Amino acid sequence: MDQEARLAFWLLFPTFIVVLVFVIFPVIWNLWLSLKPVSLGDLRGISLFKFNLTLENFRKVFGDQHLGPGLLTTLIYTIGGSALSILLGLMAALLVHGEFPGRGLLRGLFISPYIAPVVAVTFTWSFIVDPQLGVLNWLAVDKGLLAQPIPFLSQRWWDLDLLGVRVRMPLALISVILFEGWRYFPFAFLFILARLQAIPDELYQAASVDGASPFRRFYHITLPQLSTVLSTLFLFRFIWTFNKFDDIFLLSRGQAGTKVLTIKVYDYAFGEFDIGASSAVAMVLFGVLSIFLIIYFRWILKED
Amino acid sequence: MASLTLKGITKRFGKIVALSGVDLHVEDGQFCVLLGPSGCGKSTLLNIIAGLILQDEGSVLLDGQSVDRLAPRDRDVAMVFQSYALYPHMKVAQNLGFGLRMRGVPKQSIRERVLEAARLLGIEDLLDRKPGDLSGGQRQRVAMGRAMVRRPRVFLLDEPLSNLDARLRAGVRLELKQLHRQIKSTIIYVTHDQVEAMTLGDQVVVMRHGKIHQIGRPETIYERPADTFVATFIGSPEMNLYRGRLLRKDDRLHFQGPGFSLDLRGLQINLEESEVEVGIRPEDIGIGQGGTTILQAKVEMISNVGSEKYIHAHLGQGTLTVRAPKEAAFQPGQIIPLTIDPHRVHIFHEGRRI
Amino acid sequence: MSREYFEQTIIRILRVVGLIFFIIIVAFPFYWMIVSSFKSLGEILLRPANLGLDIRKIDFHAYYAVLFEHGFLQYISNSVYVSILTVVLSVTLATVGGYAVTRLRFRGRKIMSYSILLIYMFPAIVLVIPLYVMFSRMGLRDSINLLILVYLAQTLPVALYMLKSYFQTLPPEMEHAGLIDGCSRLGVIWRIVIPLSAPALASVALYTFMIAWNEFLFAFMFLDTPEKFTLSRGVVQLAQSVHLSKQLVMAASVTVTIPILVLFLFFERCLVRGLTAGAMKG
Repeated sequence: MDQEARLAFWLLFPTFIVVLVFVIFPVIWNLWLSLKPVSLGDLRGISLFKFNLTLENFRKVFGDQHLGPGLLTTLIYTIGGSALSILLGLMAALLVHGEFPGRGLLRGLFISPYIAPVVAVTFTWSFIVDPQLGVLNWLAVDKGLLAQPIPFLSQRWWDLDLLGVRVRMPLALISVILFEGWRYFPFAFLFILARLQAIPDELYQAASVDGASPFRRFYHITLPQLSTVLSTLFLFRFIWTFNKFDDIFLLSRGQAGTKVLTIKVYDYAFGEFDIGASSAVAMVLFGVLSIFLIIYFRWILKED
Repeated sequence: MASLTLKGITKRFGKIVALSGVDLHVEDGQFCVLLGPSGCGKSTLLNIIAGLILQDEGSVLLDGQSVDRLAPRDRDVAMVFQSYALYPHMKVAQNLGFGLRMRGVPKQSIRERVLEAARLLGIEDLLDRKPGDLSGGQRQRVAMGRAMVRRPRVFLLDEPLSNLDARLRAGVRLELKQLHRQIKSTIIYVTHDQVEAMTLGDQVVVMRHGKIHQIGRPETIYERPADTFVATFIGSPEMNLYRGRLLRKDDRLHFQGPGFSLDLRGLQINLEESEVEVGIRPEDIGIGQGGTTILQAKVEMISNVGSEKYIHAHLGQGTLTVRAPKEAAFQPGQIIPLTIDPHRVHIFHEGRRI
Repeated sequence: MSREYFEQTIIRILRVVGLIFFIIIVAFPFYWMIVSSFKSLGEILLRPANLGLDIRKIDFHAYYAVLFEHGFLQYISNSVYVSILTVVLSVTLATVGGYAVTRLRFRGRKIMSYSILLIYMFPAIVLVIPLYVMFSRMGLRDSINLLILVYLAQTLPVALYMLKSYFQTLPPEMEHAGLIDGCSRLGVIWRIVIPLSAPALASVALYTFMIAWNEFLFAFMFLDTPEKFTLSRGVVQLAQSVHLSKQLVMAASVTVTIPILVLFLFFERCLVRGLTAGAMKG
């Protein structure tokens, strides 16, 4: 027994070290930095290790009038992106479910947005919706659908005339949410498809014999069977989208009303050269996230 | 080959006591069957002998030498698993030779010994196949072969026949018996099937709740069960068992059961006025007059198994199963006279045989 | 017309419409990426709404420029190096770690399993600033080998968790047989667990490769010297330096996308086959 424990220790030791150095330590280091006045220029000196602790960074961050709107933007982006990707994933899974020729190929095609490198797909979409050179805008203008090109990723508001009622749409935010839905639906698609295929045929046969029509079968059998995977997916996607940085950074740089908290972390550090404030925002982000992580883990423990 | 001795083996899993104070000695070359219902600790005991699980207390000895500190690979035992546990990525020949290869036996002699074992088991033409392509019976043979090739000191067999279908099982059982006679190895065989235990074992160990209830030759276990558990666990249909009181009336010993009385004249027991249990095997009951003790039972149902019939009847407030020849013709509701030889009656006091 | 038949018809129509919709929105960006990469700058500027590609006007210049003038040959080899090393390290450590968590008894095993998941959920953006500060301070930041260690930390928890889940489905008897047959624990891992887990190892390797190949944030923050850039980092660099020449950015995007997509589509089929089926009870 003792021998087993010793072997286990050595087998897990490298993993432990890697995680310690690259995950645990940075989080603690982050907390330290958030409590100190550190600028990007201070990285060379010894001031990094001085005990000049202060709450100034947090005061600055909470005093920032953009923090509230930033949090709101983050929530809209997170909820919208998660919901859209799951909805699209559900639709795609229902389409591909069942036997037909070319199914494997379609499945492969449908997961490609998730597989492709983020830089490639963000630049491609940016190019497609570009107001000067983008194919989407030019096609719409050519066909007379639009009077002038729409700057999807660089305009904050878009006034839409709906039967005389003017609606202001947060254009860039909607664009990045649409992108989020497009890029991450394959994730939901794979999970939902797997679950769909695990629903026993007998259930459908029994329902048919009981006189349920296809729509009713979907509503009374498929949906309830999917409820667990759908809610788990939402929690997962919520946590990950909340942390997402790459996509928005590459699409809009956080301009035009898309400044989520992760972008603020970057902006403080490399826009204002204020590492301390940046770390403070990261701590805020981490704090909010912890709440969701706690929810998630209580869930897992209950499932166990 | 080696003898095996277990001394006071105790094992707990958390709060559950899986084995408590198990003592056992198996002679060199003996076929020892560990028999018991599932969860009785017999498989745990086998794993402890193999070294896959470490006991909390007690000691395992091979040829009188403790092997407690040895890893499984150093104990020189071989095991056949219920699921066979063949390596699916290796061919049959590689499966058979794996243990030898791990021990650094030269290739040439591995090949010879694999071939020898395969010939003995009749699986020479399977050597180039993978386990996935074999039938259940073939896999079982390969699993046996993998153990035999090693020529270990002790064979450990964990329910090796339970994944075979019933018809195949009887055949393999016979072969196993012959095989043992040929190679004369020490075998520890775990099963929950009493037929396997009775037909295969030189020595049967009946276990329950982590304790040994009886050790003995199959005949002994059947004829003289040590307690009520062994009595009812062995034998099919089950032994009839009644709780009641021993009385002496007119200098004759009686058993007062629930709603009937059994004449036990001729038995010498000094337990008058005590609460006892009396067991009678279905085949020890005669139908008709003429025996010593005569009882009246009311036929309730008859099950016909072809070679014979079992009559389920009411006796007093209890029920009774009687074995009858296949020609017997009774009707439900009929009252039949039964005779019982007092010397074929098993009497238990506080669960133990007297 | 019965309700059953009516609804079946509607479902059939919805299915066709839905499939067309999905195929267009998924495939079009990739189509556009490829088509645009073969166009000339003039073509892109003059006819931005031209959906097709004139076969006679296919222009490979963008690829030539990207590979030989913008240093992408170097980036490709950097990305291959980073990804393969990450895969090898991550799969190796995850295999032994996953085995330990699954089969060996030691105190704190349960907590270990849960903390693996927790680490998996840690946001990269929270880690990147402190790591940036720390390694800048140590003067080690602009290093491709450091990047590999970062990717290792990013992939290891998931890889370990995935393999742990797979190992739990393996019958322990097979390993017991190996132990009795004369293997040590490490021998069991090498000779029995790894061959049996080939499909799981392949999918974990593929997943790890994808993460390392596609990673952008750390490569963007850590690497300063162009000779050390990975492909993702290189594409961003290129996009910043050329404004109008979208065909270059698209050619670069194709270069970074094709290997990973091909790899995935090729291996997807091989991954389904389970190895243990049939080896156990009949």
